[in-house]
Amino acid sequence: MTYDLQQSSTDAEETIRALQAELAETNRGLIALTWELEQRVDERTAELRAAHDELQRTNAELMQLTLDLEDRVAQRTESEEKFRNLAETASDAILSADSYGKIVYFNPAAERIFSYSSTEIIGQPLTLLMPERFHNAHRQGLDRFLRTGEARVIGKTVELAARRKNGSEFPIELALSSWKTREGAFFTAILSDITERKRAEESLERHRSELAQSNAELAAANKELEAFSYSVSHDLRSPLRSIDGFSQALLDDYAEKLDDNGKNHLLRVRAATQRMGGLIDDLLNLSRVTRTEMRRVKIDLSAVARSITAELERMQPSRQVKFVIEEGLETTADPHLLRIVLENLLGNAWKFTSKRASACIEFAKTHCDGATAYFVRDDGAGFDPVYAKRLFGAFQRLHAMSEFPGTGIGLATVQRIVHRHGGRVWAEGAVERGATFYFTLPETNL
Amino acid sequence: MDNHVILLVEDNRDDEALTLRALNKNSIRNEIVVAHDGLEALDYLFGEGFYAERNTNSLPEVILLDLKLPKLDGLEVLRRIRADERTRLLPVVILTSSIEDHDRINGYGLGANSYVRKPVDFNEFMEAVRQLGLYWLILNEPPPVRRT
Repeated sequence: MTYDLQQSSTDAEETIRALQAELAETNRGLIALTWELEQRVDERTAELRAAHDELQRTNAELMQLTLDLEDRVAQRTESEEKFRNLAETASDAILSADSYGKIVYFNPAAERIFSYSSTEIIGQPLTLLMPERFHNAHRQGLDRFLRTGEARVIGKTVELAARRKNGSEFPIELALSSWKTREGAFFTAILSDITERKRAEESLERHRSELAQSNAELAAANKELEAFSYSVSHDLRSPLRSIDGFSQALLDDYAEKLDDNGKNHLLRVRAATQRMGGLIDDLLNLSRVTRTEMRRVKIDLSAVARSITAELERMQPSRQVKFVIEEGLETTADPHLLRIVLENLLGNAWKFTSKRASACIEFAKTHCDGATAYFVRDDGAGFDPVYAKRLFGAFQRLHAMSEFPGTGIGLATVQRIVHRHGGRVWAEGAVERGATFYFTLPETNL
Repeated sequence: MDNHVILLVEDNRDDEALTLRALNKNSIRNEIVVAHDGLEALDYLFGEGFYAERNTNSLPEVILLDLKLPKLDGLEVLRRIRADERTRLLPVVILTSSIEDHDRINGYGLGANSYVRKPVDFNEFMEAVRQLGLYWLILNEPPPVRRT
């Protein structure tokens, strides 16, 4: 371009102005672009930051998942350990089989019980462990369960027969369960060898039947005894009555024909028959005590004692006897038999204090070896403790008939009654210093 | 009950003698008929067998009945006495050795009026007979006589 200088200076000024304007324009454009670029960069940076944060989050989640997974694996491993330990240390046999009936697990107890090692039995059919005669039923049962889900044996405890490696059979108690996995159904059996238990059961059964037989024999013996006692009550008393009656008849009708000696003989005859009558009655009572059925009810021993002592006082009102009866002595026992016990003990106390001008008879309770013991105490003739053992024997007496009358059955009867109640009876005493008779009545029925 | 007969049913000859003695000693003067077994007792009451000619309108005032009898035992006799309309109401006192529960239950159950145990001691026996006589022959009112 050629420029006219005159023209050129205004042209140049114009051009410069135009260039300046262009420059300014371009500058503005550049600034705008730069600004836009910076915008874009900012946006990009923000996007990247967001993506980065997202990645961080995902990373964190992944790490957490990994930790969780590791945790669960650890738990699962621990669980498995636990169960494995359980199964390995259990004393019962634990075995598992698949849906084909092949054994997949066999714990050490099973190895012991069946005499197979785990390695030799894994993969073998379950039927190997059963006697031949059960094989069919087993296959059918397995079949039915796989087809219909119906199981007769699952979830119950049953008694079966099993077979050891050497072919010998033994009784087992078995509980069966099943569980499903992706690979199919599995069965677990927990069983124990109950040979010992069966033996004990049989022994118990034998003893039971022996006991039943003994009981039957005892009942028969009791019946015989009853018949015997009945016979005694009729047949023995009758001739006694004759002896007594006709002796008295002699005394009455032939008094003037008999001298004193003769009369004396007859009196002795009468006395003897009456004694015998008393003996028979006592024996009858003693046998009745053993024969009768006992019933246990709540009884007030104090009341029974009071009624007996009242009767004693009524029969011999002239005697001076102080009775000390503890109140509220209650127990559970047969009322009729306990009355006989107290009649005997209080009657004895009454009898053996008869030589005293006044006496004291006590009925109370005390404690002995942790149990309640009742006692009747008197301050009368007492007895020599050397002979204490003979006190409770039948017909045993420690005094002459002339001193104190009696048949010697009373204490034997007391002892038998107390023994029937599961208690015990004993006595303490000293000559002329009274006696104390103790008895216990355990509350619980044996 | 016209002549106030006492029927004693007792097989034991000694007991019979002693009972009669006791009745006598207690001034009981009633006529005493003794039957030595159950059958004889029923024959007397119903006018059969040995007693076929007896006038059965007249019945004992009281029957003393032992339980242990040969042939027909005491309880069976009691049962038959109570079963027959003619003798149903007669007072029967069981006089026997046994006081076993089942004998007493059966005796009262079959309708005995009283149950007395024979004591061994004769004096006691005498006293028992005296009281029996006093009660059943004097104090007690027998059932009215039936006229057939």
